[in-house]
Amino acid sequence: MTAVTAGASESTTTASVRGATGTGTTFTRWLGAATLVALGALAVLGLVVSPADVVQGESVRILYIHVGTVWVAYVAFIVTALSSAAYLWKRTTSLTWDRIAGASAEIGVVFMAVTLFAGALWGRLSWGAFWVWDARVTTTAFLFITYIGYLAVRDLGGSHRQRARRSAVVALLAVLEIPLVHFSVKLWRSVHQDASVGDRTSDVTLDGLMLFTLMLALGAFTLLYAWWLLHRQRVLAMRDALDDKGLDRALAERRTEGVQS
Amino acid sequence: MEDQGFILASYVAAFGAAALMAWRVARRGRELARQLPEEDKPWT
Amino acid sequence: MSTWRTALLIAMKDLRVEARSRIVLVQVLPFAGLVMVLFAFALDSDTVLERVSPGLIWMATVFSLLIVVQRSFGVETADGALDALRVAGVRASGIFVGKAIALAAQLLALEVLLTVLAVVLYRAELDADGLVLFVTTVLVATCGLAFVGTLYGGLAAGAKGRETLLPLLLFPVVAPVLIGATRATEAALGASGAATSEGWPWVALLVVFAALFGAGGTLAFGSLIEE
Repeated sequence: MTAVTAGASESTTTASVRGATGTGTTFTRWLGAATLVALGALAVLGLVVSPADVVQGESVRILYIHVGTVWVAYVAFIVTALSSAAYLWKRTTSLTWDRIAGASAEIGVVFMAVTLFAGALWGRLSWGAFWVWDARVTTTAFLFITYIGYLAVRDLGGSHRQRARRSAVVALLAVLEIPLVHFSVKLWRSVHQDASVGDRTSDVTLDGLMLFTLMLALGAFTLLYAWWLLHRQRVLAMRDALDDKGLDRALAERRTEGVQS
Repeated sequence: MEDQGFILASYVAAFGAAALMAWRVARRGRELARQLPEEDKPWT
Repeated sequence: MSTWRTALLIAMKDLRVEARSRIVLVQVLPFAGLVMVLFAFALDSDTVLERVSPGLIWMATVFSLLIVVQRSFGVETADGALDALRVAGVRASGIFVGKAIALAAQLLALEVLLTVLAVVLYRAELDADGLVLFVTTVLVATCGLAFVGTLYGGLAAGAKGRETLLPLLLFPVVAPVLIGATRATEAALGASGAATSEGWPWVALLVVFAALFGAGGTLAFGSLIEE
């Protein structure tokens, strides 16, 4: 975590007043600014400047959003899985890994919801169907639901360590399950000879400005993810610290009660 | 017409979710930071 | 005490509890039967019913799995029995395998009933050809369901507000079993024109599933039930 505070060092004197008011640092402020610029550029390029596709027409514009968010959602879930493994690997590691896992999963779920929404709209425009039962789409939906379940497990209560251990195990079990779901759906749909209508988004070829816009979308959403993860992870750290303080205070009260009686 | 509506909807959903979540995390950060002393905030 | 011996003792304990209380017999089996009847009301077509009967058997199994798992762990949490076992030093992996065995036994009884009902109510046809495939499918799928049911059941057991978590966690995970068992059963019953030979790849999928969650569950169960 020290790497991300490095940017704060040059303004620590003023930051000690400013930084105290929230989860921001000089680094995250620059990151946030870059994110805004990138997202703004994406809106302009995606909606207006970039050309419509020869085959797809205007609906290709949705793909910038859809592909951008699904990429980040996958990154987020991979980060959750890796952080969970990191937490379990050496139990003496700090709860930071657990909080990164949790924050990343929250962000992933939001991105995934946008992905599924945008994907449904795109599918409706391109192929007339909001939904299709192919391996990739179905597995993506399963991933979404599975991580909602993961977030529910994080809220089960108990100590922070219990939460960390439990949810880390659930995350790793999810990693186990996803390929199984993907494979079984793939096998299932191939029986129905629907495989050919499956991989729809890969039917689109993008080049020139369109490819650039797609790359911009990936970059912009990745910056958004990073900014968000830093802030959310810090919020979770403060929340845990407050819990601990609350517990400390309660214990202290019990002790003074014991002394008095 | 349906095309444009859907395209716009997807952008609104993405940017709207981003804005909403950003606002929420920043606000929560400020709320919590008010209640904690400096040593609990190693990033500052 | 070896893990295997622990598992057998726990399995016998669970089955003995069921033998005395007869909850599965008196409540869950009728529930499963009712589900099969309700499907018929909803689907309202003999041809459709016969065609989808494999799917309905496994849907009813999955719904009933939920209840049997909650019962299995309700028994433990009622008097803090699970915690007592842990404190007494019983190996978590042994508890896992034992409860999975008991769960599997109850599921098998359930599936026999559901198959009979499918034959009677939906006019599904089971011939000698598909019998080997069908029995294998049922055995392997049941193992998989028992493993994941015990695993997530342990997690969702106990404190208030947790039982509602079980369906959310369990249903996505059992999806491969539902797909695989249904396709294999279709092949075994000859429904939807599937040949018996088409069912065996699905059985392979079910074996992989059961193996992965058997192993994963044995390792992970302890972490999930710790309070």
